[in-house]
Amino acid sequence: MDSVFFYRNNIKAASRSGALQKIKIALQPNISVAGWPTETGSNALAGFKALENATVAEHAVKAGAQLIGYTRMSEFGFGLKNSMAGSVLQKKAADVELVLDLAGEARLAALRAGVCGFKPRYGLLSRFGLAGLIPSMEAISILSMSIKNIRGILQAVAGADERDSSMPEGKTPDLKPTKIDPKKIKIGVIKDILREMPANERESFEKKLNELEKAGFAVKELSFPDFSQFLAVHQIVGSVEASSCAGRYDSVRYGKREPQAKNWNEMYLSSRGAAFGTLLKSYLIQGAYFQFESYAAYENACRLRARLVAQMKNLTAQADFIILPAVNQAASENPATLAETYTQFIYTAFANVTGQPVLFLPDKSGAGFQFTAARLGDGQLLSLGEYLQGGGEK
Amino acid sequence: MEFEAVIGLEIHIELNCATKLFCDCPNNPGDEPNVNTCPVCLWFPGASPRLSRAALEKAALLCLGLNAEIQPVSAFDQKVYYYPDLPKGYQLSQAHLPLSRGGWIDITDEDGSAKRLRIHHIHMEEDVAKLVHEMEGRKPVSLVDFNRAGAPLVEIVTEPDFRTPHHAMEFLKALRAQVRNVGSSECSMENGTMRADANISIRTKGTSQMNTKVEVKNMNSVRHVGDAIAYEISRQSAAAQAGEKIVLHTRLWDPEKKVTTPMRAKFEGPCVPDPCVPVIKLSKKEIEELRARLPEMPADRAKRFVNQYGLSAEEASYLSADAEIAVYFENLIKEGVAPRAAMHWLTTQLMPAAKDRNQELSQAKVTPARLAALLKMLARDEINANAAREVLAHLFASDESPEAIVSAKGFKQVSDRGEIDSLIDKVLADQPGAVADFKNGQGKALGFLIGQAMQASGGKANPKVIREILTKKLEALCKA
Repeated sequence: MDSVFFYRNNIKAASRSGALQKIKIALQPNISVAGWPTETGSNALAGFKALENATVAEHAVKAGAQLIGYTRMSEFGFGLKNSMAGSVLQKKAADVELVLDLAGEARLAALRAGVCGFKPRYGLLSRFGLAGLIPSMEAISILSMSIKNIRGILQAVAGADERDSSMPEGKTPDLKPTKIDPKKIKIGVIKDILREMPANERESFEKKLNELEKAGFAVKELSFPDFSQFLAVHQIVGSVEASSCAGRYDSVRYGKREPQAKNWNEMYLSSRGAAFGTLLKSYLIQGAYFQFESYAAYENACRLRARLVAQMKNLTAQADFIILPAVNQAASENPATLAETYTQFIYTAFANVTGQPVLFLPDKSGAGFQFTAARLGDGQLLSLGEYLQGGGEK
Repeated sequence: MEFEAVIGLEIHIELNCATKLFCDCPNNPGDEPNVNTCPVCLWFPGASPRLSRAALEKAALLCLGLNAEIQPVSAFDQKVYYYPDLPKGYQLSQAHLPLSRGGWIDITDEDGSAKRLRIHHIHMEEDVAKLVHEMEGRKPVSLVDFNRAGAPLVEIVTEPDFRTPHHAMEFLKALRAQVRNVGSSECSMENGTMRADANISIRTKGTSQMNTKVEVKNMNSVRHVGDAIAYEISRQSAAAQAGEKIVLHTRLWDPEKKVTTPMRAKFEGPCVPDPCVPVIKLSKKEIEELRARLPEMPADRAKRFVNQYGLSAEEASYLSADAEIAVYFENLIKEGVAPRAAMHWLTTQLMPAAKDRNQELSQAKVTPARLAALLKMLARDEINANAAREVLAHLFASDESPEAIVSAKGFKQVSDRGEIDSLIDKVLADQPGAVADFKNGQGKALGFLIGQAMQASGGKANPKVIREILTKKLEALCKA
């Protein structure tokens, strides 16, 4: 199992009673658990032990869950290289895994493992204690075989956190199951995505749409000609945020310091050069390029982001849910470059750009599908998932 | 060719908040190194900045006190640069959407006319860590003290309205008075809670062109700012006369040699919106509530002092500049001291005495009530002015009442005419020479004789009574 676990928690805490009693949770080593090696899959944090618990970890333990260990992750969770996300569920060693979703990583990991994956809306889960990379886009996401478990975790850990000021204040949102009546539900499909899909992929996607119609749902075609722009916006804004965010990994207070440097500038350069992997380095350099050399392009990307968010809001108002494919079968499974890495996320990155909730459901076909909803639709999405998995309220 | 200078100031002021800008660490940069730190101000992985409401309010009050317009929406940006004093690689500052825009300070120009110096904008930002360079044996080491990292600052950026060192110095003095008055900072350039950088360029007098500017730093008093600007104007004028090109760069003021020396090419890093600190939204209602908390401003107070207490404009403006002094003055009046006496004793006696002892008025043992008790004894002729000055010195050292000090130290004034009469007879007998001088019309002999009589009384006699009796006796002697 060490190929899956980066760190195992051998301390058996007395099981607490609570909503998550007996639930075993694995997490990625970018979610702080005090005293655990929170190294985020990067040499830049080699040897770093978290000082405090992340809010999500703390709430889960309070609700009776057991934190069983850290699973192996890609560097800062960006891309899927070296990530073992989902394996712990496949092997049934945990009930739930918490995985960071920066551009769709958690959803694609769920697909790979054949489990459900839920990326909550931005601001539903506290980011306190998350050693993140793209603050305005990434979200701690929940992988599990069972949507009931996903809802249980969400109910236990969601809600305002005074230690994370990016969260909305106020009451914990209602995440209770709602009744799904297919006859009253419209599921949207973005025809611009469909049109661009290779024939074989489109075929299996259309088969799924037929199934939904047979089950009584109304399927409605929606138009979103700019959908393909989500990826470019993500890549520009994401790299700029990553470049700033990784600035603190300077080898001074933690991480490994290269000994040969003659001055602080050399020390930064050589330590950072040695610590970060190639993919991350190219991402950070791209971000620095937009910051220092092409700021206007970054500003344009921010404006475009605002426009895409507005268009998506308009789209989600035209249907109860929207169905999308998850995997780009044309993308390389082992991407070598930044560009190849991004092609994996052409169907997923939109939800990180807008911050809306999205649920990945596995499927017999092996491909699986994403369902998304309006900004506050987390609870309804899980109800839809339970219905489609055959366990929800009818 | 005659040149004129175009000057703008950038002033950093450290807010006197209890905590830092984005965490709950104490805002005490002077403590033992690195005691006031936490995962947020050390920027550990997973830490999340939380904007201090108290700092926002102090900053907003400062803006309102400088006639600036608070913006309904402001936000923090990341000013990206890499340096050991900034461990996260960017400084949180408000580059694109500052807390306030506009504002002004009115000063008196050298010719006595009023001049308005405008403010471009005021923004909030966090301070960076302090680097300490030391020797470990023969090896130079640089140490980082994070106590100051994340301390709440505001930066005031003026319009290039300044033309002379006088403008800059008067602006800084008025700025300090107004900010101290709203209670947002002590604004001490000597202690580093106020730092002013000047941007200076020159142009041919009468033109409106904006030429390449030079930034000057490292002035730690208002006078240094004036001196540095004066130096830089003459340096640039000489360079321009010689046909040299002025290039954009930063210079350091050397207070010993009184020159500026080049430091570095000016580096402007990018400013990217920060995704973690929420956008600041202040409603009209919130802004008005803040405005209602503003104390009376120095200029308004000066007008009121002229009307209410009959002071001259100059006296009123002097007493109004510092809230602490103004409050002390009005407390003396409340205790029953006449306005002129209060003004006179406060400015010529108490303030210099407190300064000599390095004490703040608000902390000194000489409370308004105790000084008022003393001044009332003076007004009732129970003591004379000399004695009052001596009692004042005792008031700084002990908690006893002025009355007790006067009787214990024998400062009580002698006004008994019989006692003074015989004293004067003795002086006249002892000083025949001075009496003769007086008879010969030398007026100053009278002053000498008053002094002798005063001395003979051990300084306790009422000088008015001495003068009255002495004058009568001398006149009688002249007639005889």
